[in-house]
Amino acid sequence: MLDWFEAAPGRLYVVATLLPLGAFALLLVAGAVKNLCRPARQEGGRASSVYWLLGGDHPLRAGAYLATALMAVSAALAVGGLVWFLRDADQSGHAARWAERVEWVRVGPPAGPHDAPRPAAALELGYRIDHLSAILFAMVTVVGTLIFVFSLGYMADEAGQRVEDHEVDRQTPRPGHFARRGRYGRFFLYLSLFAFSMLNLLIADNLFQVFVGWELVGVCSFFLVGFFYERPSAARAANKAFIVNRVGDAGFLVGIFVAWSALGTLNIEELTRRVRPEANAGTLTRADPGSPAESARPIDRPGSDLLLYPAAAPAHRPGEPARPPEPDGSMPYTLFVLMGLGIFLGCVGKSAQIPLHTWLPDAMEGPTPVSALIHAATMVAAGVYLVGRAFPLFAPEVLLVIAYTGAATLFVSATIALVQTDIKRVLAYSTCSQLGYMMLALGVGGWVAGLLHLVTHAFFKALLFLGSGSVIHGCHHEQDLRKMGGLFGPMKVTALTMLVGVLAISGAPFFSGWYSKDQIIASALGYGLVHKEHVLLFLLPLVGAGLTGFYMFRLWFLAFAGRPRDEHVHHHAHESPRVMTLPLVVLAVFSVGVAWGSPPWDADASYLGHLLHDSEPAAADVPFAEEHHEAHEVHLVAGVAALVVALLGAGLAAAMYWRSVIDPAAIRNHVGGVYAFLRRKWYFDEVYDAAVVNPTVGLAFAAAAADKRPTDGPADAPPRRFDLLTLDGLLTAVGQLADTAGRGLRTVQTGRLRGYVVALALTVVLLLGMLWGLTSQASGGR
Amino acid sequence: MSALGLPPFLVLSAFLFACGVVCVAARRNAIGVLMGVELILNAANLNFVAFARFNPAFRLEGQVFALLVVVLAAAEAAVALAIILNFYNNHATVDVDRADELKG
Amino acid sequence: MTLEVALFAVIATATAGSAVGVVASRNVVRAAVWLLFTLVGVSLLYFLLGAEFVGAAQLIVYVGGTLVLVVFGVMLTAQGPLQSLKTRPTEWAVGGVLGAALFGLLAAVVSGATGPPGEDRPLPGAGPLGLGFLGLTDSPVSYLLPFEIVSVHLLVVLIGAAYLARAKRRAKL
Repeated sequence: MLDWFEAAPGRLYVVATLLPLGAFALLLVAGAVKNLCRPARQEGGRASSVYWLLGGDHPLRAGAYLATALMAVSAALAVGGLVWFLRDADQSGHAARWAERVEWVRVGPPAGPHDAPRPAAALELGYRIDHLSAILFAMVTVVGTLIFVFSLGYMADEAGQRVEDHEVDRQTPRPGHFARRGRYGRFFLYLSLFAFSMLNLLIADNLFQVFVGWELVGVCSFFLVGFFYERPSAARAANKAFIVNRVGDAGFLVGIFVAWSALGTLNIEELTRRVRPEANAGTLTRADPGSPAESARPIDRPGSDLLLYPAAAPAHRPGEPARPPEPDGSMPYTLFVLMGLGIFLGCVGKSAQIPLHTWLPDAMEGPTPVSALIHAATMVAAGVYLVGRAFPLFAPEVLLVIAYTGAATLFVSATIALVQTDIKRVLAYSTCSQLGYMMLALGVGGWVAGLLHLVTHAFFKALLFLGSGSVIHGCHHEQDLRKMGGLFGPMKVTALTMLVGVLAISGAPFFSGWYSKDQIIASALGYGLVHKEHVLLFLLPLVGAGLTGFYMFRLWFLAFAGRPRDEHVHHHAHESPRVMTLPLVVLAVFSVGVAWGSPPWDADASYLGHLLHDSEPAAADVPFAEEHHEAHEVHLVAGVAALVVALLGAGLAAAMYWRSVIDPAAIRNHVGGVYAFLRRKWYFDEVYDAAVVNPTVGLAFAAAAADKRPTDGPADAPPRRFDLLTLDGLLTAVGQLADTAGRGLRTVQTGRLRGYVVALALTVVLLLGMLWGLTSQASGGR
Repeated sequence: MSALGLPPFLVLSAFLFACGVVCVAARRNAIGVLMGVELILNAANLNFVAFARFNPAFRLEGQVFALLVVVLAAAEAAVALAIILNFYNNHATVDVDRADELKG
Repeated sequence: MTLEVALFAVIATATAGSAVGVVASRNVVRAAVWLLFTLVGVSLLYFLLGAEFVGAAQLIVYVGGTLVLVVFGVMLTAQGPLQSLKTRPTEWAVGGVLGAALFGLLAAVVSGATGPPGEDRPLPGAGPLGLGFLGLTDSPVSYLLPFEIVSVHLLVVLIGAAYLARAKRRAKL
């Protein structure tokens, strides 16, 4: 057993990935068996005893504990794997020991070494562990385990035999109270499936497997956002999340198709070697089609084609000097750009970047642990992760698009977050904004900065969400910030841990967020200094830092400081049980220290950042050398600027919502138009409704109206005239034609033998006559 | 024999064939129909043998197939008669016009 | 006008006349007798063509076997209102026209047929035919497969005919 792992230690990760899937399968089977046995529950016998064994009328609690335990094992394996990997990483040739791949579906013959480049021939399954995936794997499993534990407490209501959902009563008024069975087990079932999908996405070594995980996390998000699907708002939010993500996934598929057909492989490492050989210092080489390979030019004097190199590293015999690989093909550069844009569009959808960000705030309809795990810490980060993974596949033009998308997102989301009153929506827009920071960092070449922020953000945003969940739980599902206030007294642990999160996200020194955000702003400034025309890419995140400080402290002050604004809420507020506060404390510890290095006061010395630096692709290093140098030079300036701006924002928030020096209402009245604009979230939803949703829905209604039976009428209503004349009429006509023809032809079938003989003889006479006539004519013509 | 040639035999065969067809088409008695079939088979056989005689390539083949047809015709007659007898037992007639159970 | 042509003219006329008799006679027994003459006429033509074995087989199998079967059939089914089985004149007309057209066309096609003149050596007799069936001749072709098929066919027919024509027994209760 140990030998098996020793040979390829990466298998540890495969096991850790499959553990949640096992929990999912067990829960699924248990649930199915239980439901099958339900009809017999009063009758005795084997089925009945199975039913009562599986929890009876109450949801099965043991399943939830099992899922949590397996997730914890997975986290332990991941941490162990991380340690093992870091110890192993110093040795040469370690990469081969941490990657394996098998063919899954073969669709063509394997390409020989001398074959011309052609579309890929097989879908593969494989994993590849490097610093990035090892760190993210550990992060996801640890955060996931904490959130599983938190959910054990948060979802305790669902463990009851009967759950009353007052929200449903509020949204759809009807006589009586709405009640349903508890869904404790189902929640953990979805969570386990999500954990598996996310881990699979992380360890995947090829784009197709990433896509599989991508879609699976998407569908888990759909299930979990719509967990309270009796609420119309939740059902709508789930649909919105799913459909908006499809837009991005269509782009992702386009990118995969281009890679498949033009580059001949989906393996990310091979794709990288194909477009940027190591020997060529990670740059793209372009040439004009048909020109000899010697005329290949660096990227700044563009030809219209991109030269491609062999996917496998060139055979290197000892004693020979290493030769740079020869190009073995080319692809149109525009196609390469299209591939990058397609992959990035997928990331835009998943990471809720403008213009596909509208689903994320609505996704807060899901239970709060879901918001923490999926819509803050892990799934939405998958887009950033993929941008980091596929970084070498992005042309400079695509990187610029990425940077501007991220900058726009971080600014727009931050402004919207300023005026939201729902505690979870503030956090949701803050998530969008922070993801924008990561995208921006990647776009300007700050690969390490962006991904470091991904890790730190996962911890402190999970902490913030869980803290808000604890507040919501303690206030009996009150989410409106305007009704909170003064909760510091009854909820000390929650308040303090959330304060840690707020400080971390605002970039207070020595908190994890400081290290990453500092690097991002420095990268942006460095980029802005080199490319003067793109100075906006530095200004927006700087302003965003101030906005972040403002809205996060506003949230904290509104919730915990000052006087209680709603006596009813305050009166019932209570601290959450230990099972919920413990994850908060652990996450708070991580939020503070996860990025520490030696010395801790040097933002560049972050240990985590150094680890990530080890897996930075050459494509992020070499072409951005100048920017990196500048960023290093101006690091201190950028850090101080960001800190000052954040302090300004935090101070303003304190003045407005804590000390009440400035009256928020006065400002609101002063800038009424802007306030309404932000309250309506820049009218994104309205525009989409008018441009896409309403026409589609209108079309659907028109189609329904044209259908044979009106949907709103009784089933036996007379058919509509329009349908009778078009589709329905056409189909009926085909059927009637066959019917009439059959009726007509059956009279020919008289059953009288002699009639058949006459017909047969007549046929022979006619055919023979034709034949004879033709041959005699032909011979006559000669 | 070379004075005679192939065509007279073929013409006679065509005449027998036409008679057989008329017999099958016009007779209502099932046995009469059977006789028409025999006429048709004989017409075909006559062709086989005539070709065997006048085409050196078919000296053996023509006769072989003529023999086959003779034997198969005998078998066919036996089965047909068995069918006719069954039909007669069921319907008390041999009128083929009464055998219209397969009418559509 | 050689002897062969004269013989052919006589036999062909008799055969064709008998065939017309088969078609035209109202009584099925008479038709059977006309058929007898036709079959004999055809066998005589085989002799004339030099295919003695086939002619003999025709006489034995057809005249001696098949025709007897037919006559038996007539006898076994003769106790019905045979008179009612008259064909309508229009049907006769249709059949006649059709037959005439068929004959005319066939005759027109075959009358133009040309081929090598017949050789004057006799056709292979029973011996070569039997060896040919068994594939024991010098020629590469063999008729063993048709022979086998016919054998099996005859067996099946024998069983089938016996089954179809058997006396129906009532199940004893």
